[in-house]
Amino acid sequence: MVLLENDSFLTELTRLFQKCRTSGSVAITLKKYDGRTKPVPRKGYPENYEPADNKCLLRASDGKKKISTVVSTKEVIKFQMAYSNLLRAHMDGLKKKDKKSKGKKTKATQ
Amino acid sequence: MPYYQTWEEFARAAEKLYLTDPMKVRVVLKYRHCDGNLCIKVTDDAVCLQYKTDQAQDVKKIEKLHGKLMRLMVSKESGAMETD
Repeated sequence: MVLLENDSFLTELTRLFQKCRTSGSVAITLKKYDGRTKPVPRKGYPENYEPADNKCLLRASDGKKKISTVVSTKEVIKFQMAYSNLLRAHMDGLKKKDKKSKGKKTKATQ
Repeated sequence: MPYYQTWEEFARAAEKLYLTDPMKVRVVLKYRHCDGNLCIKVTDDAVCLQYKTDQAQDVKKIEKLHGKLMRLMVSKESGAMETD
């Protein structure tokens, strides 16, 4: 599992999407993260760690390659904008709903 | 593991589940371009909520929910929503 900086993560995520266009899936996981780098101690042992409250962990995989990044409050605004654009740009293989393909907007009722 | 039929119900249940225990809940997004579908799952390892779609109009909704949960996760649990 490769831990990357936010920008590198976005670049690699783009690459994952491009690679999986013909086959395969892209799985993205989002979870709240309290910043601990050591495992949780057993019962009865003192927990010396102060959990941080302002981070989340993002992971992505195409089944083979795994990447991840940590986002905190300071980076979330910028990251989220870039991330939303990325998702919207790449998740474009879905069906477009156009029942009324004639273009007549018949919402107004008489 | 039920798939929700409406986005509204799924979004409401997902947010509610997250607020009950933010540390336990994770959000999983799976996109398959070759099959043209997108699946989102929100779980705390006890309850599992899923929504599946092949409609382009749902991408925006899913991406917005994802962003909303991300922001909830990085915001301090002070109860105050800071929008700038």
